[in-house]
Amino acid sequence: METIWLYQFRLIVIGDSTVGKSCLIRRFTEGRFAQVSDPTVGVDFFSRLVEIEPGKRIKLQIWDTAGQERFRSITRAYYRNSVGGLLLFDITNRRSFQNVHSWLEEARSHVQPHSIVFLLVGHKCDLEAQRQVSQHEAEKLAGAYGMHYVETSARDAINVEKAFVELTREIFELVRSGDIKIQDGWEGVKSGFVPNTVHSSEEVTKGSRQCFC
Amino acid sequence: MVFSLVDWGTKRKRKTADITQALSVDPVDVATLRRMAISEGGLLTDEIRCQVWPRLLNVPPNLLDQEPEKVEREDNKDYNQVLLDVQRSLRRFPPGMPDEQREGLQEELIDIILRVLKRNPQLHYYQGYHDIVVTFLLVVGERLATVLVEKLSTHHLSAFRHLRVFFYNNFIVIIFRAEVGTVFALSWLITWFGHVLSDFRHVVRLYDFFLACHPLMPIYFAAVIVLYREEEVLECECDMAMVHHLLSQIPQDLPYETLISRAGDLFVQFPPSELAREAAAHESMAASTFKDFELASTQQRPDSVLRRRRRQKPGAPESSAVSPVVAVAQPSTARRFVRLAVMGLTVALGAAALAVVNTALEWAPKLDLFP
Repeated sequence: METIWLYQFRLIVIGDSTVGKSCLIRRFTEGRFAQVSDPTVGVDFFSRLVEIEPGKRIKLQIWDTAGQERFRSITRAYYRNSVGGLLLFDITNRRSFQNVHSWLEEARSHVQPHSIVFLLVGHKCDLEAQRQVSQHEAEKLAGAYGMHYVETSARDAINVEKAFVELTREIFELVRSGDIKIQDGWEGVKSGFVPNTVHSSEEVTKGSRQCFC
Repeated sequence: MVFSLVDWGTKRKRKTADITQALSVDPVDVATLRRMAISEGGLLTDEIRCQVWPRLLNVPPNLLDQEPEKVEREDNKDYNQVLLDVQRSLRRFPPGMPDEQREGLQEELIDIILRVLKRNPQLHYYQGYHDIVVTFLLVVGERLATVLVEKLSTHHLSAFRHLRVFFYNNFIVIIFRAEVGTVFALSWLITWFGHVLSDFRHVVRLYDFFLACHPLMPIYFAAVIVLYREEEVLECECDMAMVHHLLSQIPQDLPYETLISRAGDLFVQFPPSELAREAAAHESMAASTFKDFELASTQQRPDSVLRRRRRQKPGAPESSAVSPVVAVAQPSTARRFVRLAVMGLTVALGAAALAVVNTALEWAPKLDLFP
């Protein structure tokens, strides 16, 4: 079944190795959680539709990136065409929180001339007993960079929907107000209404049209 | 090709005998062993692999008896990352293996990686390296795996380094280009497909093949997979992300033997020397006009290469994949498109793999790519 969407947003998910990027995305797109998850080698891709208002669907394309430093030269090529991003740290790993600043720097220096709307995500919030970063501290940091902050758990499915949907809403408002504009040659936001074209389905299903681009 | 069980049984017996014979002569008949590793079924059993893999990698026999040295884990700069990655790589161990046995192997896996890295300070751990090492560990055991992985890391995997001469400019361009159309295959290359294939037998079969061939053979094999899936790519939405998604999910029922022989054919048709010549031409273009090169790189995205290939053959109702062997018999346009597919992969992906596996740090600081 073809599903019509209003816009397509491209998101990137970044953060230190083992903070739980792939698990968060899998929980959101596939609704499941694996206790053990292979490290991401390079860049993986996921997609899902979200309904932000009744009848208003947004298609999210989500790039999952390897957290290890050595992949930086590959992953940084994905910033420019992303409109939004989830910046993850692990609330039980103080180091990953301290690195938030350098992740933002990394993103900002490679996204020019565009910009990315980031959401700061404190992940693994089910592990309260091992917490090393307080909610207050994380909120303060997020505020200093003009980001919202949310705590999530892929294992217990806490706030996973909320994180993605809130970021999507925030971007949607910026698109609606004209602060973010659709541009040729930029993949961050795409409009779903193109005359005489039936647009995409939620999953990668076989389409009948042939395109020659 | 379908063989009856009886035929295959006979063939298998003959092959085993041929391998035993090649191993028993002095000096060992490595050419025959290579042929056996490439031809149908590969090296058949792990017992044979223990004997033959060292020969394919040209490891001196005296090295094989060395006891692996003790590993100092704590003062190793890569220890934490290796530990994190090995701990969560359960998928790479045979299903049903008792936990205790698996945990023992995971410890050995960590030791092998750290040992090789320590002895070769020019090497760097990257996520995916453990996917290669675990394959060796499961087939030949810790002692032999240490020796083979070390040889492989300083030879086959560093092949990407040898590409640097003609990837020098392309590399810069690719990093700043928005669309990295071939990164879907990055994990294929830097793990020798270990990360993406779920059936261990297929992984090992490919390792037989790659160990017997030129270090760039994994790139040719990647190109063959893309060509094989031509129809699916053409039917996919015209969108880099969707193409990435489609291609990165390798179907688990690929006809491996057929694809291996196609990769071999492709290698003969377009040897690395030819690709190097062509890449050199691209390089001068990139230096003169950035825009042109950007366009050329976009056109090397696998989907656009295949689309243009299709447009050249209007009305030809293709059965699924076009064999490169057929292509060579056709006029030069078809040949050109196959070459483009291989080129697209080598230029973009070689550079990407190089960035990750890179062992030649001496030139990196100049480019300021590894801060």
